[in-house]
Amino acid sequence: MKRTIPLLIVMILGMMFVVHTFVPHKISQDFYNWYQTWLKVMVSFAVILGVGSLLMVHTNKIKRKAPAWGYSWLTILALVGTSAAGFIWGIEDGTPYMWIFENVNAPLGATMFSLLAFYMASAAYKAFRARSMEATLLLIAAIIVMLGRVSIGNAITEWIPDITQWILNVPNLAAKRAIKLGVGLGMTATSLKIILGIERTYLGGGKQ
Amino acid sequence: MNFSDYIQKIDRRYIFIILAIAVILPLLFPLGLPTFTTPPVLSLYKHIDEAAGTDDRAVFMDFAQSPSTLPELYPMDLAILRHCFLRDIKVLTISYYPQGAAIMQMAISEVKEDFPDVKQDVDYCNFGFRNFALRVPITLGMGDNIAEAVETNAAGRRLENLPIMEKLKNYDNIQVCMEISGAAPGIIYINYARARYGVDVAIGVTAVSAADNYPYLQTGQLVGLLGGLKGAAEYEELVETFANNDIPYSEKKAQNLSWRNQQYELSKVPYKFKQARIGMDAQAVAHVLIIIFIIIGNIGYFIEKRQDKNKYVK
Repeated sequence: MKRTIPLLIVMILGMMFVVHTFVPHKISQDFYNWYQTWLKVMVSFAVILGVGSLLMVHTNKIKRKAPAWGYSWLTILALVGTSAAGFIWGIEDGTPYMWIFENVNAPLGATMFSLLAFYMASAAYKAFRARSMEATLLLIAAIIVMLGRVSIGNAITEWIPDITQWILNVPNLAAKRAIKLGVGLGMTATSLKIILGIERTYLGGGKQ
Repeated sequence: MNFSDYIQKIDRRYIFIILAIAVILPLLFPLGLPTFTTPPVLSLYKHIDEAAGTDDRAVFMDFAQSPSTLPELYPMDLAILRHCFLRDIKVLTISYYPQGAAIMQMAISEVKEDFPDVKQDVDYCNFGFRNFALRVPITLGMGDNIAEAVETNAAGRRLENLPIMEKLKNYDNIQVCMEISGAAPGIIYINYARARYGVDVAIGVTAVSAADNYPYLQTGQLVGLLGGLKGAAEYEELVETFANNDIPYSEKKAQNLSWRNQQYELSKVPYKFKQARIGMDAQAVAHVLIIIFIIIGNIGYFIEKRQDKNKYVK
């Protein structure tokens, strides 16, 4: 029973969503509106679950004095402080919430991502070697695209941006499309297996 | 340590310092390198520009961003909003990410500073933050009725009561759905809004994700693509050349580089609207530097290979 009811819910709702996608009838539309109302309620519970889970993990770390527990205090402080700022003063321009975002969150996030450039430069220098035919082709393509994406490439010769565009439009496109088709077929097959009850691992609990 | 070893094992701290200098100097002293435009950016600009002066067409912008992608994506936000405000194009904005909503607010405020006549809920409407789980229902619902699907704007006012929504009913009134994202952009709009309602979709992405989306460009599922800082720089340049001088887009003029340079000189661009082009100077120097490092590493590798071969022959 514990597995049969969830299985039935997935099967029935899965089928109904497939029908809704292809049949634009009023009944199908009413069903979708009903689902939207439920979704809004469920989403609110998900927020409670997420915040609750985050607080539990970090309060446990603080209690156990786990390694780097000081950062858990920081996480809780940031969560409570930012939420309080938003709840009390709102989230419009000029509020403490936007001040925190513009002066703490945004520069920190941008800085973390910018560090990637340094690691990429170091990794490219250490690892990019023309050891084989395939590696050499990759190396040449990478250099052309790197030059073609900045104005220096165009200054050297107008051909570099054209070749860059060709690399993106032909070999890159062919490979990406093959991958996307494979992923799409895989997703369709897995979805069908779940809807038809063949794939049940998402229910957990090991073998029946 | 012989020469080949030495040039293959340069301490990475030196690489970091050289790269930092190479990035910082062009940001402090811009080189003013020219920007050349690519077809996906031209196509997007042209497509958005076609809605100029109409009150029953709007550009819909989805800000799927976080602060980590600000350097690449924020200049795109500014350039597109500026284009729309300059050319009297209605704009609708939404974000399904809490941080994206703050970025959206920041971008609108920053661009609006220069447009005192542009009015909220008349010329643009900020729908604010919506929970990510509601993304598909809202995207599908907008096909029937935008006001019913989204319900309220960021300030909590009912959409059906807002002047901007009088002639904006559903996707028939959307010129383009533009998603600017650091993750998997455009997929929801391609799958649901385009496949079902035929609306035009375009995306702005970080450079690293741009290559993933070329299949959608080729099939026409995307009408345009801004890839990384380069895409933003190209769009900035088009806005300054055409929109800022109040000139409608023309294919012929866009191909004429000397005319474009002349127009660009005419427009006095504030710093905040040329961030991407200044950033591209730093990116150009960084790319060249990385290529030099790769070449140095490979020279060391081939010298070593040759030495090993000679040793083996002896």
